[in-house]
Amino acid sequence: MLKNTHGALPAVRIAHLSKTFGASKRALDDVSLDIGAGEMVALIGASGSGKSTLLRHISGLVRGDRNAEAQIVVDNRPVQAGGRLSPDIRSSRAGIGFVFQQFNLVGRLNVLTNVLVGNLGRMPLWRSLLRIFNDEERRLAVTALDRVGIAQCAFQRASTLSGGQQQRAAIARALVQKAKLILADEPIASLDPESARRVMETLSLINRQDGVTVVVSLHQVDFALRYCQRVVALRDGKVKFDGPAAAVTAALLRGIYGDNTDLDFGTLEVEPSERDGARSAMPGPRQAALA
Amino acid sequence: MKSPALRVADLPLRAPRPTPAASLLKLLGYGLAAAFLVWSYQGAEVSPVKLFSDAGNMATFAADFFPPDFSDWRYYLEELIVTLHIAVWGTVLAVFCAIPLSLVAAANIAPWWIHQPVRRLLDAFRSINEMVFAMLFVVVVGLGPFAGALALWIHTTGTLAKLFSEAVEAIDPQPVEGIRATGANALEEIIYGVIPQVMPLWVSYTLYRFEANVRSASVVGMVGAGGIGVVLWEVIRGFQFSKTAAAMMMIIVLVTATDVISSRIRKFFI
Ligand SMILES: Nc1ncnc2c1ncn2[C@@H]1O[C@H](COP(=O)(O)OP(=O)(O)O)[C@@H](O)[C@H]1O
Ligand SMILES: [Mg+2]
Repeated sequence: MLKNTHGALPAVRIAHLSKTFGASKRALDDVSLDIGAGEMVALIGASGSGKSTLLRHISGLVRGDRNAEAQIVVDNRPVQAGGRLSPDIRSSRAGIGFVFQQFNLVGRLNVLTNVLVGNLGRMPLWRSLLRIFNDEERRLAVTALDRVGIAQCAFQRASTLSGGQQQRAAIARALVQKAKLILADEPIASLDPESARRVMETLSLINRQDGVTVVVSLHQVDFALRYCQRVVALRDGKVKFDGPAAAVTAALLRGIYGDNTDLDFGTLEVEPSERDGARSAMPGPRQAALA
Repeated sequence: MKSPALRVADLPLRAPRPTPAASLLKLLGYGLAAAFLVWSYQGAEVSPVKLFSDAGNMATFAADFFPPDFSDWRYYLEELIVTLHIAVWGTVLAVFCAIPLSLVAAANIAPWWIHQPVRRLLDAFRSINEMVFAMLFVVVVGLGPFAGALALWIHTTGTLAKLFSEAVEAIDPQPVEGIRATGANALEEIIYGVIPQVMPLWVSYTLYRFEANVRSASVVGMVGAGGIGVVLWEVIRGFQFSKTAAAMMMIIVLVTATDVISSRIRKFFI
């Protein structure tokens, strides 16, 4: 049974998805999940719980196990079913922005070219292979760079940017794709707190202003609670919790991360209203203690 | 983490001694290497004594080279320029062929049933010396520089494609995945994700091969494939050693100049 928490047409539908690496390593175990258009969802879970694997399946970068019921549909297009990628997976991917923990920009290309790559899905092949971008495509890229606040770096090599700037360039690439869905796999795990905040603000802004659906995996629970309305928690490849951020409790986190953790759960006992108020502000002292 | 049971005093200070079996194996390895050297010594008829017993011969021979006779320098220069042209075109044709071949020879791009056969083909290109190809192409296209350029082309395609594909296999896969995630197809992944990463190495390998090709181009002429090698062949066969000396000196100048210039260009690209 699939439940649709928000009643909207799901932007992402994942049904009975399992993934086994090698002979026995179960990275995902019968995951079913619906994500409504315009939602901003946090994917949390301990390291190795399957967050990256799940996100990579949604973009068709990995194929699930050959189970007849398994399917992933994004924006009414099948991405994969029964362990087979859809034949037009590339046009699906063109509508999905993917932001990686390690940014995955091409360091020797300049920032603008990295962002222009977001146009490839809509360009004729001969132009994309010759790297000929027209003014409209360039304007789209420059506008996106301006929006994430790094237009001044357009002609620098991507490798010369700071981590936070590279991550914002990656988000700009997703904007150029005109993606309706952005998947972000631990986008702030390699960043300092201030850059992390800016990247999360940027994702949140795109979610609110453009109505882009965002699924972001996070290691830091406080960031998840501050920026996302809905939290999905994985443990050992299974969905252990799926509900509003307000319903996340210390006991629940203990169940997800295990007792063997350094998190100070005591600081999590905040009133939902208080948490909402803190959403757009800097980390408060009680929440910052969680980072 | 320090476990309380383990104290520094108990930690070993040296790697454990190899087992007797491992030592024996190592000894056997040395023995085989020595046997191979002895065997090759006989095969190559190495005999240092000859160098000394024939020292008188060597001296008169060396004396014949001096003073170098530059009277035909215009002719040598023309042929040297032809040599350079052979090297340039041998290299350029090879680069054009090596780029696609190196991609299909890379294990991270092509499946094994493609990259394995391609690699064997490249091995074949490489294992035959340019001189052999030169002789064959002289038969096909006749005497002259074109045969030389074709000979260099085949051999250089073999070497460059192998070097290029090793660079491709050493790339960071993450940026390529970043490109793939935008919906790019395989060719676009290569253009935007792979080529920028390997470019500096490819340029540098190409220039190295060009230097090597200038040297090779100066000898392919000895089998009739054009360039300064033809001159060398004529003067050596005519026992005109002072002219040989002049031609050799001009080759040295050309080769040194190419090395210097190409290393400058290489620095510019890295
Ligand atoms: N390519 C792979 N090959 C083998 N095992 C993998 C691979 N990718 C992930 N795994 C395993 O799958 C599990 C989930 O990994 P991952 O999705 O990276 O977790 P997370 O992102 O939550 O840290 C881990 O146990 C990991 O070791
Ligand atoms: Mg991960």
